[in-house]
Amino acid sequence: MSRDAPAGDDDPATENGPATENGPATENGPATENGPATENGPTAADEPTGHRGFGTEYSGHEERPHLSEVERQGTPYTESQVIMTTVKAVAPFVFTYGLFITFHGGGSPGGGFQGGAIVAAVVLMIAFAFGIESTREWLSNSVLVGLAVGGVLVFAGIGLVGLAGGGTFLDYSFLPIPEPMKYGMEGVEILGIAPIVASVLIGLFFLLAAGPADDETEVSE
Amino acid sequence: MNALLPTASVPLAVSPVEVSLFAFVILTAVVTALARDVLSSIIVFGAYSLGMAALYTFYRAPDVAMTEAAISAGVTTVLLLLTIAKTSRIDHEVAFESVHWPAVGAVGLLGAAMASTLAEMPVVGDTNSPVWSNPDVTQYYLANAYAETGVENAVMSVLASYRGFDTFGEAVVVFAAGIVTMLVLRREVFA
Repeated sequence: MSRDAPAGDDDPATENGPATENGPATENGPATENGPATENGPTAADEPTGHRGFGTEYSGHEERPHLSEVERQGTPYTESQVIMTTVKAVAPFVFTYGLFITFHGGGSPGGGFQGGAIVAAVVLMIAFAFGIESTREWLSNSVLVGLAVGGVLVFAGIGLVGLAGGGTFLDYSFLPIPEPMKYGMEGVEILGIAPIVASVLIGLFFLLAAGPADDETEVSE
Repeated sequence: MNALLPTASVPLAVSPVEVSLFAFVILTAVVTALARDVLSSIIVFGAYSLGMAALYTFYRAPDVAMTEAAISAGVTTVLLLLTIAKTSRIDHEVAFESVHWPAVGAVGLLGAAMASTLAEMPVVGDTNSPVWSNPDVTQYYLANAYAETGVENAVMSVLASYRGFDTFGEAVVVFAAGIVTMLVLRREVFA
């Protein structure tokens, strides 16, 4: 755990007292986690307004040229080592669990809706831990929109194959694949519902974080 | 699979797990309604959803329980927190709202009216209840879902195959919810 040399700088709970503040490698565990040890993903160091209190600094109606400055409006972010470390440890497992629920919906409880929601929760966790704005910059809007639109198109497309073949809407037996019933349903769940739910939930989160656009600047009525 | 299904008619006795889950859910629901601080209310509401998810699991509805846990306890709580973070928080001197007794009386009357039908409801897990013994719906799905669709999860076979058109509509509703939120907030991008 002792990766960072200047241990004990921010931690008042070192047992050695304040005299050893700059000492090399104190043996106290929690003191060694003060560094910005975020190698991957959105880093908290990028967050321009760390250590923000809860809902403080609401600055009203100033002009916002693009979304990355939305947090002037008061999106709260409190940098917490506990939350960041927990999310870093838990996120890969939750992501894998979400994919498992999605892909294994045919054989066990779950499916595209539940799995997509869990995958979206991973992104929400990351945004909670590392700041919403840095996570927003790390995400690509076109990926989210592509997942949502593509999911609807895949679902409708699989449904229309049956119609085109002379059957009914969502008649999977017309799909040109082996075991069309089973894999048609899996396709609808994995490629249709899960991307829609995941991307829309992530989108709702970032839309709510951004808040409404100002009347004067972005909409002329 | 049959080991997971209720086989015999369940006696009326409720288990301690059931009682404690019900007590937890009712307590958190009352606290959600009465808490004066909105932040407390939202957090207790998340706990309520978690209790409901546990209750669904107890009643052998794991698909519903997963949805409740992921959407209601998880994502909805985060979205509500995000929303009230944009408001200013007021310090309250008292933790709970004062109880409005006429409202309690009205809700109590409604509850009593609904509770009067409870005696006619089938016992939980009763194999003779119409929703279970119906040969055209529930029993048909359970008997034929695997042979006709090839998936072991009968819930998914209903959602994606027998009632696939409904599910298509639901997926489009989720999609539309995202679009409408953009419209309401006058934004043109998700992130």
